[in-house]
Amino acid sequence: MKMMEMLSEVMAIFSRWNKKLLRQPILIFFNLIQPLVWFLLFTQAFSAIGNIPSFQLLTGTSSYITFFTAAVIIQTIASSALNTGIGLVNDFDSGFMDKMRVAPINKSSILFGRLFSSALTTVIQVAIILAIGLVLGVNIASGVAGTILIFILAALFGIAWSGISLFVALRTKNAETTLSVGLLTTFPLLFLSASVMPIGLLPSWVQQVATANPFTYIAEAFQSLIINGLVWQKIEYALIAIFIVGVLSLGASILLFRRKVS
Amino acid sequence: MEDIVIVDNLHKTYGKNVIAVDGISFTVKKGEIFGFLGPNGAGKSTTIKILTTLLEKTSGKVTIDGLDVDADQVKVRRIIGYSSQEVGVDDDLTARENLMLQCSFHHIPKEKAKTKVNELLQTIRLAEAADRRLKTFSGGMRKRLDLASSLVSDPKILFLDEPTTGLDPQSRQDIWEYIVKLNREGMTIFLTTQYMEEADRLANRLCIVDQGKIVAEGTPAELKAQVGADKITLRFKIDDHEGCEKAKELMSKLQGIEAVGKCGDGIAAENGLTIITRNGSALVTQVVRALDGAGINVEQLNLSAPTLDEVFLKLTGKTLKVVERKQSTGGWGRRRR
Repeated sequence: MKMMEMLSEVMAIFSRWNKKLLRQPILIFFNLIQPLVWFLLFTQAFSAIGNIPSFQLLTGTSSYITFFTAAVIIQTIASSALNTGIGLVNDFDSGFMDKMRVAPINKSSILFGRLFSSALTTVIQVAIILAIGLVLGVNIASGVAGTILIFILAALFGIAWSGISLFVALRTKNAETTLSVGLLTTFPLLFLSASVMPIGLLPSWVQQVATANPFTYIAEAFQSLIINGLVWQKIEYALIAIFIVGVLSLGASILLFRRKVS
Repeated sequence: MEDIVIVDNLHKTYGKNVIAVDGISFTVKKGEIFGFLGPNGAGKSTTIKILTTLLEKTSGKVTIDGLDVDADQVKVRRIIGYSSQEVGVDDDLTARENLMLQCSFHHIPKEKAKTKVNELLQTIRLAEAADRRLKTFSGGMRKRLDLASSLVSDPKILFLDEPTTGLDPQSRQDIWEYIVKLNREGMTIFLTTQYMEEADRLANRLCIVDQGKIVAEGTPAELKAQVGADKITLRFKIDDHEGCEKAKELMSKLQGIEAVGKCGDGIAAENGLTIITRNGSALVTQVVRALDGAGINVEQLNLSAPTLDEVFLKLTGKTLKVVERKQSTGGWGRRRR
């Protein structure tokens, strides 16, 4: 009974956010601008990387753009995750949050409804990226099953990564801070991982950082699905990374939100 | 009458030394409109947030319909409605969607919710605008919707935090009428306000709060009686100083008069008198007769009952200045979504 109630609360809040998004569809594309610039321009400027024999050896492809698609997906997920927290900050500002908190609902429903809607947005955005990739000649080696796996991983990582944005939003209740924390972390993490260059070609200190960076495992899972096919081990690693990030970020957010008194 | 809200020695301190509520106790009776009147920063919002389970108290005891706000949080939430100052509605949704969403928060089955929402839309006169997004709504329409959205669950008690702050006079009137209507139908209403007129018009009983403390409690009439007096003001032609002096002498001799003051003092252009009395309406005829008998011409005569303004002034030594706040505080440069 409790479970069913919570499910219906999450559904109600999930569909509220979906409606909001549907009425401002431009927001879907807004987040995509930056990743697309990288996808279209960066890969062109750096396409020669694909000719490096050790790159080909390590990645199994001579196309830098195919390799880089994973980085673009991660960037899309991260930038979408940012908005998760911003949405909550807006609710605090408008008084809608109090309206929800004073209702007899489970507080976590407020967060999960938001997270799931955010994950849906991410999946739509990733689909757009993959479609553009297809036009640019990026084929997914793992086929339909692999593509579905990409969506699932993107949704799950999106939820886990959104937890960080939620935490900052709940902590500061300030849109600017929430936005800048997200912006400031995405790029360093991207470059300190295996998403723009295979780990074997990174300088050794970066390699060490990259091993502890969740982006590395997500990137390698995407790379293997796009370039090589279904490599379960990579997917397992990605799921473990998502699990760790998710437990920490969502756990902290839920605790903070439950305790948050004002 | 049974008490529905009991607040006993409530304290709220933010951080280490910001005292927002400093030992407040009061009760609200079932079926009444209870007003919480005070200036900005008096602790009104803090109190209402504690009563509605939104804020944790530092100490004291608060029960709503016998339920403890800490121990029975969820049960309390089932029987209350709350409408905040900020107008908690979602601008991207339509009026109907906003209300349906509130229904789902209260787990009202879909069919029942639809009927309920239609009823509410009728009552708040938004039936025609029901399927429009709120972006096009006026402040008054949004506030009416906000009120309705706190009513979907038929709460036993409705908490309104400054329900008319920032509204135009017509919208304010609308909201007042709606509040009175709900109360007539049996709903208990707790409202905070910084408007004397609002407290005077709506509240059966009220507390005046200042700096986290209750400085007075009673019906509006009782509170005004504390200040005591009615006021009769007379005004004479600007150059008729003789008449004014003569009138002052005459008035001082009348029965039932407490004080007569020349209000021309300090206000140069005004040549007049202020008469303080316990029973203004009975005295007016005497005043007129006396003036007529002495052949003194009066430009203007006013009789006024004491206002809550004077009560507040007497109790706190300051006037209640209303500071209008902007409705939406999205912060500059930020768009609300």
